[in-house]
Amino acid sequence: MTSVNLQVNVGGLLMKNPVTVASGTFGYGAEYADYFDVSQLGAVTVKSLSLEPRAGNPPPRIVETPAGMLNAIGLQNVGLDTYLKEKLPYLREQKCVIIANIYGNGPDEYAVLARRLEDAGGADAIEMNLSCPNVHDPQNACGGGLVAQHPDQVARYTEAVKQATRLPVFVKLSPNVTDIVAPARAAEEAGADAVALINTLIGMAIDPETQRPLLSNIVGGLSGPAIRPVAVKMVWDAARALRIPVLGMGGIACTEDAIQFLLAGARAVAVGCASFRRPDAAINIVRGMEAYCRKHKIDDINTLVGAVKV
Amino acid sequence: MAHVRDCEIITHREIAPDHRRMVLHAPEIAVEARAGQFCMLEVREGFCPFLRRPMSIERIFDDSVSILYKIVGQGTRLLAGLQTGSVLNVQGPLGNGFPIPAEEVRAILVGGGIGVAPLPGLAETLVARTGLAPEVVLAARTEAHLLCEQELSQMGCPVTLATDDGSAGFHGFADKCLRRLEPDADTVVYSCGPTVMMRAVHTVCVEAGARCYASLEAEMACGDGVCMGCVVETNTEHEFGKMARVCREGPVFDTRDIRWSAYDVR
Ligand SMILES: Cc1cc2nc3c(=O)[nH]c(=O)nc-3n(C[C@H](O)[C@H](O)[C@H](O)COP(=O)(O)OP(=O)(O)OC[C@H]3O[C@@H](n4cnc5c(N)ncnc54)[C@H](O)[C@@H]3O)c2cc1C
Ligand SMILES: Cc1cc2nc3c(=O)[nH]c(=O)nc-3n(C[C@H](O)[C@H](O)[C@H](O)COP(=O)(O)O)c2cc1C
Ligand code: FES
Repeated sequence: MTSVNLQVNVGGLLMKNPVTVASGTFGYGAEYADYFDVSQLGAVTVKSLSLEPRAGNPPPRIVETPAGMLNAIGLQNVGLDTYLKEKLPYLREQKCVIIANIYGNGPDEYAVLARRLEDAGGADAIEMNLSCPNVHDPQNACGGGLVAQHPDQVARYTEAVKQATRLPVFVKLSPNVTDIVAPARAAEEAGADAVALINTLIGMAIDPETQRPLLSNIVGGLSGPAIRPVAVKMVWDAARALRIPVLGMGGIACTEDAIQFLLAGARAVAVGCASFRRPDAAINIVRGMEAYCRKHKIDDINTLVGAVKV
Repeated sequence: MAHVRDCEIITHREIAPDHRRMVLHAPEIAVEARAGQFCMLEVREGFCPFLRRPMSIERIFDDSVSILYKIVGQGTRLLAGLQTGSVLNVQGPLGNGFPIPAEEVRAILVGGGIGVAPLPGLAETLVARTGLAPEVVLAARTEAHLLCEQELSQMGCPVTLATDDGSAGFHGFADKCLRRLEPDADTVVYSCGPTVMMRAVHTVCVEAGARCYASLEAEMACGDGVCMGCVVETNTEHEFGKMARVCREGPVFDTRDIRWSAYDVR
């Protein structure tokens, strides 16, 4: 076998391999350039972008938990204008494929973000973050909880963005639901090109000495290897129910983890907070996937997608 | 530029009860490191604990760096269990480091408890760059927890000791001890230690008109500017506004830039 095909097509976004990074765990790409050539990733997904810069929540924002962590960053980011002016040139220079994750206050802001990103050449695909547990904006209240917890709202937000851009649109969903298929199907029916899952699981940690929450936001989002089995199961559920591709994430730290997601039905995967531990985790998974395919005599990684033997 | 490297532990010794010094063979990190920068240590394989542990670089040698740490929990306990000759994965150097004045200037270093960790490297750099050994206030709860006195004296630093219980040197807190050294507008003060101490040192410096820098701590996940987890509230705008990353814009800040009152609500 001479070469292994690692290229995948995620809802119109061509990635030279099925590995990207999870929004919020890789900055804007340049931060980790000390450790490896970030353009070798299938795509770089940037930190959620809002129209205006956001200050985020007060500290403490992070608590370590067994095989993972809770975060309540609150989407601190530089805002769209600074991204376009100061962060984008580096990513373009490096010839990275860019997934721009966006967060707006209400569907109109999401639409504006998507349109302005497309006009400025600031993204190759849009990922709509409808599932951040650490922000509370009135327009997104939807009668309580996250937009991603209300299938009708998921449809409304997705439609708004689809009308605003021709870029592939991914809808990032929350695991904090009874049935992941409901919001996933709503996204598909509203025209989404792919769904991305999972965002963090809402959690809480208390200091028994002070008897107070360890996060200033009281609750936060759980990520890391601890949540991986939940994520694999949700990818499996969504992939069987949908025709559009699934971008899978949640606790991926090594090649074998990533392969599980592909087998469960993910077309591509995102490496999240495992990069904090090993900044080169994502690129090592790219290399590991090629080795895995050779070992298992697979010439096209796409044949693994959804191939779990049940 | 930062590196992630497997580093051999060259020496690992207890220097006070629950306090250790570790010297790591880390040529690439040593070449790049400046006083006041830190490293993220992977204390064990696997995912418990999940995150690396931030540790200041104590001193920088030709092809090694030393760290000084206090055993406070699971991560540092695991660190303490590592034998000389074994290998530790180290990410660094990270952070900004201490600003070093270009000219000869009176400098006073104030270290409280394990906060003394980055000061020997700073003293060495000040001697090398300005030709003048800084004065040092070493403070701790009791005599047994006074660290690095010998190292700093050998570098030519006049060292004043202070203990909370009076078991050695000045009986009282570091800021009172600093006041007695009468810093003025031509003095630069560097501090590292408990937040209450650094804040008190800042107050003394504001009254005296002295410049003052502090090396802060915060909960860190990435240590490298990507997660936005380690922020401190500042008075001026940084790249991300008035929530500055301790791991990137810091860990060393001009104390006049820190919104100390934000610590009150914690
Ligand atoms: C930039 C920086 C440089 C540091 N340099 C040194 C050093 O040179 N020597 C040294 O001994 N320690 C240093 N620390 C603190 C050190 O990182 C923590 O003591 C260590 O992470 C505790 O790990 P643990 O698993 O043993 O304790 P844990 O079980 O995680 O916690 C035990 C206790 O330590 C506190 N703690 C945990 N992490 C931190 C942290 N990042 N900052 C402050 N308190 C914390 C917890 O609140 C708790 O009270 C530094 C921290 C930072 C941010
Ligand atoms: C510190 C941190 C910040 C995050 N910020 C964002 C964000 O800005 N937007 C977003 O859509 N997801 C964000 N996430 C969620 C991740 O993208 C990912 O969905 C989640 O962490 C699960 O993957 P993991 O377990 O591999 O980290 C963040 C996660 C972490 C840990
Ligand atoms: S620890 Fe992640 S940004 Fe500072």
